[in-house]
Amino acid sequence: MTNPVRISNISKTYHTLQRKGIFKSVKRDVQALEDISFDVRPGEIFGLLGPNGAGKTTLIKILTTLLLPSGGEAWINGYHVERQPNQVRASVGCMLMGERGLYWKLTARENLEYFGALYHLSPADRKRRANQVIELIGIQDLADRAVETYSSGQKMKLAFGKALINDAPLLVLDEPTNTLDVPSASELRAIVRRLNAEGKTIIYTTHIMTEAETLCERVAIIDHGKLLALGSVPELKASMQQSQVTRVEGVISQKALNSVQLLPMVEQATLTNVNSHNLLTVVTQNERQFLPGLIEALSISGAVIQKIIPQEVTLEDVFIAKTGRTLAEDTAKR
Amino acid sequence: MQSGYAVHSLQANLSVVLASTWMRLLTISRYKGQLISDIVVPIVMASMPILLGRATAGDQAGQIFEARTGTANYVAYMLIGSSVFTIVSSSFWHIANWLRWEMQTGTLEALYMTPTGRVWIAAGTALYSMLRSTLSAFVSYFAGSLILGVNPFQGELLMALVFILVGLLPVYGMALIFGAVVLKLKEANALINLMQWLVSFLMGVYFPVAILPPFFRFLALAFPPTWMTNGVRSALLGVGYFFGVWYKDLAVLWVFLFIAPLAGYFIFTRVETAMRRNEGLGQF
Repeated sequence: MTNPVRISNISKTYHTLQRKGIFKSVKRDVQALEDISFDVRPGEIFGLLGPNGAGKTTLIKILTTLLLPSGGEAWINGYHVERQPNQVRASVGCMLMGERGLYWKLTARENLEYFGALYHLSPADRKRRANQVIELIGIQDLADRAVETYSSGQKMKLAFGKALINDAPLLVLDEPTNTLDVPSASELRAIVRRLNAEGKTIIYTTHIMTEAETLCERVAIIDHGKLLALGSVPELKASMQQSQVTRVEGVISQKALNSVQLLPMVEQATLTNVNSHNLLTVVTQNERQFLPGLIEALSISGAVIQKIIPQEVTLEDVFIAKTGRTLAEDTAKR
Repeated sequence: MQSGYAVHSLQANLSVVLASTWMRLLTISRYKGQLISDIVVPIVMASMPILLGRATAGDQAGQIFEARTGTANYVAYMLIGSSVFTIVSSSFWHIANWLRWEMQTGTLEALYMTPTGRVWIAAGTALYSMLRSTLSAFVSYFAGSLILGVNPFQGELLMALVFILVGLLPVYGMALIFGAVVLKLKEANALINLMQWLVSFLMGVYFPVAILPPFFRFLALAFPPTWMTNGVRSALLGVGYFFGVWYKDLAVLWVFLFIAPLAGYFIFTRVETAMRRNEGLGQF
C-alpha cells in the first residue's frame, strides 16, 4: 500500500521585500523549508511540531497545493502535488486557518453544503453529509444560526467539521484545539481518535506537547525549515535514553543559567518563564552526580531555588533538546 | 487509490456555478440595505445631469440634446447610461470584491483547497453579479422613468436586454483581468474607484462617445461597455447604432465575447500560479 504522504527533498524559498522607510526596499530571499523528506504511513496520526516560523504551515500549504515548492516533490494519496492538484485537493480534508475560512453570514449548514458542492457532492449528498458532520461535531443546536453569532470555540468546531465534508482518507489538522475549552478540546480529540480508528490518516500540528504525546504515533520536529527529528514518540524519547532531565523552579537569572551551561555533563539548559515562575530545565548524563554541582552553581549566582523536580524524559524535553526552547514559550510570543 | 478522484464533468462544474451563485445570493439577502442602494444609486446618478440640463437649457434642453445625440429624451438617455454603468461597474466590483474579501476573511485559501477550478467559482460569482445588477438596473430604470416622468416602455426592450447580456460576458472577462490585478496588488478600493471613473468616461455614461477627442474615441470603441450602452440606447431611444444596424454592433460584441473571457482566464491563471509559486494567497 502506498504511503498517503510522501515528501522528498521539499524546499521552499520566499522572495520578499525588506522595507526601508517609505520609498526604499531591498529584495530578500527567505528559506522557509530546506530539504524536508518523510513519509506518513497509512492509518497513523502523525504529529508535526515546531515553533512559530519553523515552516510547518508552509509545508502544509505545499501538501494541500496552496503553495508550489521551490524544489523537491511530494505525493498525496499517490497524486503529485504539482502535476495533479485537483486530485490531491479531492483526497484531503484540511483545517488550516481555524475559524477563518468560514462564511460568517451563512449558517453552519449552508457553509457545509457550499463546501460540499465545491467537492462535487450531489445536492442530496451535500445535505446528507452536512447532517452527518453536524451530528458528529455536536452542533445540532447551532446548525441553522449564522456563524457570526458563534463563539470562537464553536467556529473552531465548525472549521473542523468543514475538513470532514468530503470524507477524505487524509485529514490535515492545523492546531484544531486552539481556542477550545478543555472539555471541547477533549471531545475533539476523541473524534480525531474515532476517525483514525475508522481508517483515516491524520497529520496533526499542535503546540500542546501532551496532546501530541497522547495522540500521535509518530512525530516530526521542524525548526528553521529543517527536519530536526522524526520517529515514534517512544523512539524520540529513547534517543535521549542516556539523558536525564532535572527541572528547577525559583528565581533564576540569566547569569545563573550561563553558569549552569558551563557545568560538565550538561547537554542542554534552558530558562523559561511559566506562570510567573522561572523554570530551569537541564538535560544531563547523570543526574545523581550532577545535582550537587547544579545547586552550588545556582547558589553562587544568587538564584533562589524553590523546587527541584527530577523527571522522566517527555516529548517536551525532546523538543527542547532539538530546538533549544519550549513550544509553550514560543506560542506565548504570538 | 487513484481512480476515486478523477477530473469532474461539465455537469458537476455547472452545479458548482449554481451553488456559488446561490451562496452569494444567500449572503446578500442578509444585507438588505445593499439591495435598496443598488436601485437608488443609478436614479440619483442620472438625476444630477438631468437637473443640470434643465437648469442650463430650460425648456430647450431636449432640442439641444437631440441635435447632438439623436434623441430629445435626455432623461431616458441619462437613466440608461447610469443603469448600464451600474451593471458594468458592479461586475468589476463583484469580482474584485469577491477576491479581496475572501482573501481577507481566509475563505479564498479554503476555496483553493477544494478540487473545483477557480474559473467555475468565478463564473458563479459572475452569474450572481449578472442577476443582481441586471435586475436592479431594470427596476432602477423603470422606477427612475416613473419618478422623472418618462415612458419606460418605449423602443425595443428585448433588443436592449440582448445587448446587455451579450455585452456583459466580455465585461466579466475584463473583470477577471481586473481581479488578477487585485490578487497581485492586494488592493481593491483604490483600483475600483479608478476603474469606475475610467469606465464611466469611456462608455459615455452621460454623453455620446462621438464628442470625445479622436484618441479617447478610439479607446472608447475598444471597450465593450461602450457598444453595450450604445446598443441599449439605440434599441430604446433610436440614437443610432455605430454601424447603422443592430446586428453589426452585436457582432462586435460577439468578437469581444470570445476575446475578453479567454484573455481574462489566461491572465488570471498566470497570476494565480505566480502567487502559488511565491507568497501564496494567505498574505493580504
